[in-house]
Amino acid sequence: MQDRPTAIELLEAAANFVDREIVPVTEGARQFQSRVVASVMRIVARELKLEELHLRGEIEALCALLGQPKPHLHGRDELYDAAVKLNEELSAKIRAGEVDRGDSRERTLMVVRQAVENKLRIANPRYLESDIAAREKKP
Amino acid sequence: MDAKEIAERLSAFIRAEGKFKSVTIENLRRMPGGASREIWSFDATMERDGVATERAMVLRRDPGASRIDTSRRHEFLVMRAAFEEGVPVPEVLWLCEDAAVLGANFFIMQKVDGETIARRLLRDEQYAKAREVMPAQLAEILARIHRIDSEKHKLDFLAKPGENAAETELRRYEDSFRRLALEPHPAFELAFRYLYQRIPKTPRITLVHGDYRIGNVIFGPNGVHAILDWELAHLGDPMEDLGWMCVRAWRFGADHMPVGGLGTREAFFAAYEAASGIKVDREKVRFWEVFGNLRWGIITISQARTYIDGFVPSVELASIGRRTAETELELLNLVERDG
Repeated sequence: MQDRPTAIELLEAAANFVDREIVPVTEGARQFQSRVVASVMRIVARELKLEELHLRGEIEALCALLGQPKPHLHGRDELYDAAVKLNEELSAKIRAGEVDRGDSRERTLMVVRQAVENKLRIANPRYLESDIAAREKKP
Repeated sequence: MDAKEIAERLSAFIRAEGKFKSVTIENLRRMPGGASREIWSFDATMERDGVATERAMVLRRDPGASRIDTSRRHEFLVMRAAFEEGVPVPEVLWLCEDAAVLGANFFIMQKVDGETIARRLLRDEQYAKAREVMPAQLAEILARIHRIDSEKHKLDFLAKPGENAAETELRRYEDSFRRLALEPHPAFELAFRYLYQRIPKTPRITLVHGDYRIGNVIFGPNGVHAILDWELAHLGDPMEDLGWMCVRAWRFGADHMPVGGLGTREAFFAAYEAASGIKVDREKVRFWEVFGNLRWGIITISQARTYIDGFVPSVELASIGRRTAETELELLNLVERDG
């Protein structure tokens, strides 16, 4: 086992340093790149927290949608490979026009939206929040 | 090649092209923007028959392109046609297709003053008036671009797509997607399916700018100064440019204003109709808006690939790979609404 700080705590310390100490003393393209560096470190920190949870949820939803039994998987890599395989199967069905209409279309849209929202919970949570807020405002 | 050597070679090139007695290059510097292309600005003092003229210029070159690449020449000729038809665009001056001069094809154009950072346009107080007038200006300019006669200006290098222009474009981007994507994207598959089921016929083919968005505009407090980045110009459905203007990524969060964060679709379409005399087919623009979001999504994948494959070691390009999900979410919103 490793000692504290955790990987997430280390990343947050580094991202805070870039935001507070580097961004204010740089300008132009370099300042922009510095913001990107801090943002990338925060993406990694969120991914460390959420990835496994998201993968398990995505696999369960895709298996239910595709009518497959839920596999027993161990470790991040097995989960990731299973998610890729299931998403490829779903992609093939969409391309073949098997989910163009009705209930299968509705269920597919729901599962895909959930997966895309989970990507944004890691990559850009603010974008997701403002999108949800805008959709709730509309009738 | 360092800046000093570029300045020396540039001065010799302009002297020969313009038959000047002497040319002095000053203030040569690389301008921000574009990870794969290079833009340099400089001041040239040119002397002929004892008269010296000074002019601010911009050099555009693409060091990544192959030596037989013709895109610089195409861009140069389209910009010249646009300039002659009164479109606000930098005047193009000289084209060089001898890679021995600067290591890649390039052209030189007049430098147009103003700002290009779209976020400033949407936020800064000094651009309040620009924000108000720009949607109508952009619609009027677009109508002018779509009136450019490609035969009159000998733009015959542009492929004629016929009335299946939309399908041709869609297939081209699907090919890129299948080639570039490293993982499955069911949201993009849904968008492709949606678009293939709604391909519009295109009886009216015009010149299309191909990258018409606020990020490619030089502006000032009174609005548009010039339209930039003509390298994606092609013949096709003029509605493609209108749909591209509505892509979510160009709103920078100002989603209540779908046209570049500046205005509503209806006001923009009405201004285009008034300027062009051509009715805007809302459904067709809708196709191109969905296509535009999908196209931007595929571009984010391709930009990330330039990092992943080791071509450009840029953290910015790397991070764009994680922006693909933003376009996926917008595509789901668009596809769901049209049941």
